[in-house]
Amino acid sequence: MTSGQSGSQGGGFDSADFVAGFITEAEEHLALANANLLSVEDAAAKGQSTPRQVRELFRSLHTIKGLAAMVGVEPIVEVAHAMESVLREADASAGRLPVGAVELLLNGVRAIEHRVKALEKRQAVPAAPTKLIDALSTLRPSAPRDGAGDGEQTTLAPEIWSKLSGAERSQLVQGLSAGRRGLAFEFIPTPALAAAGLSITAVRERVAERAEIVKVVPRSLPTSERSPGGLAFVLVLLTDGADAALAEVTAATPDAFTPVTLVARHAPAAAPVVEGGAVEDELPEDALRHRGVVRVEITRLDEALERLSALVVTQFRLGRAVAAMRVAGGDVRALAPIVTENGRQLRDLRASIMRARMVSVSELLERIPLIVRGLGRSTGKVARLALETSRAELDKAVAERIFPALVHLVRNAVDHALEPPAERRAAGKPETGLLTISCRELSDSQLELTVSDDGAGVDAAAVARRAGAPIPTTDEALLELLTRPGLSTKEEVSTTSGRGVGMDVVKRIAVDELRGELTMRTKRGQGTTFSLRIPLSITIVDAFSFVCGDETFVVPVAMVEEIQEIDLGLTTRGPDRRRAPRPGGDRRRTARATEMIQRRGQAVPVLRLEEVLGLTSAAEDRSAVESGGGGSARRKAIVVRRHGEAFAFAVDRMLGQQEVVVRPLEDRLVRVHGISGTTDLGDGRPTLVLDLAALGGRLVRDSTGAPPP
Amino acid sequence: MSELHVLCKIADAEYVLPAADVLQMESFTGATKVPGADEQVAGLVQIRGRVVPVLDLRVVFGLPTISPTIDSRVVVMKRGDRTVGLLVDYAREVLKIPPADFQPPPAVVTQQTEGLVKAVVQAGNRLLMLIDFTKVIGEEREHAE
Repeated sequence: MTSGQSGSQGGGFDSADFVAGFITEAEEHLALANANLLSVEDAAAKGQSTPRQVRELFRSLHTIKGLAAMVGVEPIVEVAHAMESVLREADASAGRLPVGAVELLLNGVRAIEHRVKALEKRQAVPAAPTKLIDALSTLRPSAPRDGAGDGEQTTLAPEIWSKLSGAERSQLVQGLSAGRRGLAFEFIPTPALAAAGLSITAVRERVAERAEIVKVVPRSLPTSERSPGGLAFVLVLLTDGADAALAEVTAATPDAFTPVTLVARHAPAAAPVVEGGAVEDELPEDALRHRGVVRVEITRLDEALERLSALVVTQFRLGRAVAAMRVAGGDVRALAPIVTENGRQLRDLRASIMRARMVSVSELLERIPLIVRGLGRSTGKVARLALETSRAELDKAVAERIFPALVHLVRNAVDHALEPPAERRAAGKPETGLLTISCRELSDSQLELTVSDDGAGVDAAAVARRAGAPIPTTDEALLELLTRPGLSTKEEVSTTSGRGVGMDVVKRIAVDELRGELTMRTKRGQGTTFSLRIPLSITIVDAFSFVCGDETFVVPVAMVEEIQEIDLGLTTRGPDRRRAPRPGGDRRRTARATEMIQRRGQAVPVLRLEEVLGLTSAAEDRSAVESGGGGSARRKAIVVRRHGEAFAFAVDRMLGQQEVVVRPLEDRLVRVHGISGTTDLGDGRPTLVLDLAALGGRLVRDSTGAPPP
Repeated sequence: MSELHVLCKIADAEYVLPAADVLQMESFTGATKVPGADEQVAGLVQIRGRVVPVLDLRVVFGLPTISPTIDSRVVVMKRGDRTVGLLVDYAREVLKIPPADFQPPPAVVTQQTEGLVKAVVQAGNRLLMLIDFTKVIGEEREHAE
């Protein structure tokens, strides 16, 4: 076989295998850590504490640290250790994370991911980021471990909190616990505001219409231009509405509003935590076992599939042997149903292995929230992500291919489509942009993923201007322009979307690589929806490409036993009684195996592929071993084996070896024995994928007089 | 049924296809030959990422084939699960034809074309033939393994 992978042979310790194992497991834990960090952040915004997530985070980092130490990747150990320390502290204080911790921990996860990637690519692993580690180690535990005894804390500034009565405190805490938003609104009276009718009394009245006022706390400020009276009022509020509404009635800027959230609940009795020790004693594997999930390298599944293919061939031979016995008059009544049953079981087994390659859509989308969050930060846009996933599953290979396209659509949506908050406000939209990703199974073989935003919509005129084309009138025509290579509608280079990679990449992945469809609906001022229709699975094979008779073909590597140069000195040509032209004859039938090459001392028949396929009529008389064009270049023989018998196909020249996506030919007009499907080698034309063994078999049947299939 | 029809030409005759079944019309510069497929199959083309078998209507109608010209078009049609391209000499116009205007073809025509012409219609001074797409592509048979 031509596969170049190095397996571990013998019982020795194989560090490459071990590193691969580390990478898979680290990725699992990093994904889990990301998800947990986001839910911690989410919960914190709602004022809930998250002891379970913090504990899981701790375990993930602890595991990563241990594994990285075993593999000897010191930088990962360092980062994981710094993160673990913060998390141990938080775990010990019932899941309270210090202020700013989530951001730093996310950065930590990214730093580890970055290093795992380097390891995977066999590149040098960068040193641990010292700034990040310093920042992590100086994180202050946020709240006092025990407080006034009421067990609740909020992020309200201590000097304000201290002014609240017990009843007011519990009013605030209860409101926050019930999921309402807490706000501290600072109102600074000025003569200008007073002239506009905005005194503290007026503000209090207006705010009271839209929010529940817990308390108004006056405090003194140094006299300045901003606070000519040296006085401010902090209104502690509970609200269900948007800040914008409050800001509007009080003529305040958004920065006058500080969110108030619950810091944490004190350790619930159910989860007693022994500092430091107890958690570490648990085996990290437990976390995985609980989820009933095993992560397997895809190559192992492919290997199983390959073995299965061999089994299918054996089953086929068995079937033929039974058929031959029947023809010879043998009693096969007992055998026949067993052969049938065996075939059915093999099909089921194949389906099971294919299912094992499937990943859920939610797994595909699990990193999207993190990406949206990061984009929001770097662009200054406020985006809310709504994920509508389904239980649909798709092949790992499809998932891996479609993910970059999905990320690109998400980036575009946040970067280009969603307007900045001020612009959205002016347009009468909520400041927070909405990004929706949903998924729908169209059939048992197709999935539709949609990425929608409620942003500005695609500016058809701008796109047309950049493309130097007339303004398209339909969404289809607009998409056609958008997916032109190199087109970018944003005038300036933006850091997130960059330059050069545009919608053409999305189209190439979805349409050309996966044979799916890409559609778009857009409305100026209202938003854009992109739909990706993709197959749930594709067949990817390692294949040789070659030229024969001016046509390009590919053949799966697994089918090829050897490729050898045809050496004129080692070729024999036998007599061929059937070369005489037949009236109206099928040229394919004139290809006889009368030429032979020597292969390891054995004579192997050589068939001219162009004749087998009926491609050429010009070179009737030339030998299979002669080159078509100038004569000096030698032809190549692709040796395949069928039923133990070796054949060679003479072809003009080999082009290369690559992974190709094979699409079966579905329409009966083009379903032909010996052609297993088509692929795109990148020239935008379909290239035929040949089943050379089947083609050889056809000739054998022809020559033995057996009926065609 | 929609009134819109795509007008196409094969040799000197003009045909129409219901626009509702037409996915797109593409120029034709050649197709990937499929050795072993029926003679009527011009080959495979890749149109917007989809691999579509193309039937040469000249061969279907028993006419000599020609090399692709600048006017050659593949009319990609979809009916049910099947998507098939029809290679014609020319196709650009879309005509509005009220359904009532279609007449059944003369019996001789039906016989000679083996039912490939479903109906005829007089549009101005032109006589147009409605191609029976389903007949042209043949019934899809279930292929046993």
